[in-house]
Amino acid sequence: MRSFLKTQLHFLTFTLVHFIFSLYIRFRKAYHSVLDRVCAILYYHHRTPEYIHKDVKQLSRLPAHLSVVLELDDDEHSGAGLSSLVSDLAELAAWTACAGIPLLSVYEPSGVLKNYIPQTHRSISETLASYYGPSHPGKPTLSIRAPHLPSFSPPTTPPGTAESGAEGSSPPHLTILLLSAEDGRSTLVDLTKTLAEMAQRQKLSPADVSAELIDAEISESVMGEPDLLVLFGPRVILKGYPPWQMRLTEIFHVPDNEGVNYQVFIRALFRYAKAQMRFGR
Amino acid sequence: MSLHLSHIRNWFLQSPPAEWALHRIRELLIGALRQGPIPQHVAFVMDGNRRFAKTHHIETVEGHNLGFEALAKVLEVCYKSGVKVVTIYAFSIENFNRSKYEVDALMEMARVKLVQLAQHGDLLDRYGACVRVLGQRDLVKPDVLEAIDRAVAMTSHNTKAVLNVCFPYTSRNEITTAIRDTVVSYNKPTRPTLKRPFSETHITRNIRAAQLSTVVEESPSPEPQDVSRTQSPLEESDKDNEHDSIASSSTLNVSTTSTNPSATHKHRDSLPDPESIDVSILDSHMFTADNPPLDLLVRTSGVERLSDFMLWQCHENTTIVFLSCLWPEFDLWYFLPVLLEWQWNQKKHEEAGRGRQRIKSG
Repeated sequence: MRSFLKTQLHFLTFTLVHFIFSLYIRFRKAYHSVLDRVCAILYYHHRTPEYIHKDVKQLSRLPAHLSVVLELDDDEHSGAGLSSLVSDLAELAAWTACAGIPLLSVYEPSGVLKNYIPQTHRSISETLASYYGPSHPGKPTLSIRAPHLPSFSPPTTPPGTAESGAEGSSPPHLTILLLSAEDGRSTLVDLTKTLAEMAQRQKLSPADVSAELIDAEISESVMGEPDLLVLFGPRVILKGYPPWQMRLTEIFHVPDNEGVNYQVFIRALFRYAKAQMRFGR
Repeated sequence: MSLHLSHIRNWFLQSPPAEWALHRIRELLIGALRQGPIPQHVAFVMDGNRRFAKTHHIETVEGHNLGFEALAKVLEVCYKSGVKVVTIYAFSIENFNRSKYEVDALMEMARVKLVQLAQHGDLLDRYGACVRVLGQRDLVKPDVLEAIDRAVAMTSHNTKAVLNVCFPYTSRNEITTAIRDTVVSYNKPTRPTLKRPFSETHITRNIRAAQLSTVVEESPSPEPQDVSRTQSPLEESDKDNEHDSIASSSTLNVSTTSTNPSATHKHRDSLPDPESIDVSILDSHMFTADNPPLDLLVRTSGVERLSDFMLWQCHENTTIVFLSCLWPEFDLWYFLPVLLEWQWNQKKHEEAGRGRQRIKSG
């Protein structure tokens, strides 16, 4: 009887606490959305690279490798979901290019973008043109690649500039790297398969398997460590993001935010510039 | 002035009636939490001890001590509310770069406190939790190692809950170890050779003998397979052979093995197929192999980074929470909102799943 009453009391408290909490969350969401709206008004890019330059200029440091997580909204009709994904990516790519960040990696679990690389390239080029004007000399060149797929840069962009971005007069270059769920844990599984096979053929002793070896292989076949990871969802959930590379990456998200927008992007860069590395020492 | 106020507040909170009331409220809240879903596996990055010490003008070591007290309190909350596994980032391999004084102090703390926690009637014993130490043991001094092993042995009979202490740990080291162990396990023959008292070759020979005996009485030639009874020395020599042949003619990559085809083939035959390696096999070689999936990861002190902790485990559905409070300040009142929000999201997630099912069926 006593324990029954106790359970009832606990259940009552549970319901009460959760009722209060849901009120709190609703208020918090409202507050955050107002805050985000204000932020979005204060910082807006007006589709002009100069505004983004101005926002970024005051920052003490910028990530060399920016990474974002996007998600295909599969509730909608697939065509609509895909086109909004591509347009989000195009905007993001334009902001990244305007901020002067040379490498943007885009993690999208389903990997649907990898099937539409030429279309994505065209869409991003159009967005870049709308930011810079069609024949602006400083308009960044663009190449898109994905692990195990060749880099895609159509003949209008000079080939071979993929690695060099710091050549005096030539326009900056933006590389976009498309990642999907199979570039995460599965890559480590594939690497293990190869290593196991080599060990069976006596080409490698298990003692040779070191963090350095794995790191070298993984960075070559997928990517190195990103400096900053921006999530556009309301909470920090990685959804299968490549684990090996996440080691020291700064993770940024705006609580209760939904969807890709400029204020999250610029706040992430601000946060990154202020963050001090306090690893180990 | 504020110091005075906090003194008065502390005096009030420590007075028996207030303490009793607080205790009741705490029990009630934890009991209430148990009515909803509870994360089965929670991980903590206990960050901020040093900054806490700095801002409160106490010694770094004292900050770590306060951090330990906070840990004991949080562990109690976790186990009481039904968390099965708690994983804590006690010491990173990178932490060896800190001053020798601090490293020694941390080691000493691990040596003393872990045993203290494990003692009869103390926290772990009360909640039936066993200690496991995850990490690279060979970096720890023998006297500390001995104390750790004692704590592990003292609690090994507990099965209700688990406390994973990551001590000299980095996630990359864990993943590397898992991959290496997988490679090693795939390099061992799985087929239990000659466990049964009958040998296949012997049987075939008997059959053939029975067939042949009617025609001609012929002594069966010594078959090469017959030596499987003495497999290990043969394998050794095979390995050497193969090694030599690869070394001598490394340009002929695969076909080099043809110098001794039957033997090497047999050697590789008895090995498991590397293609069968998958995520679950790597999972089973991680330090957290038999733990439930990580549901919640909490990092204090406002640093929004994983810092080489649980990379493999938290990459998918783990809710990662970064709090701005420092670890010694962390207690039920900081943890409660985190748990409530987790429950809230869990409930919403379930509802969404149910909704989707209804749409599909409808």
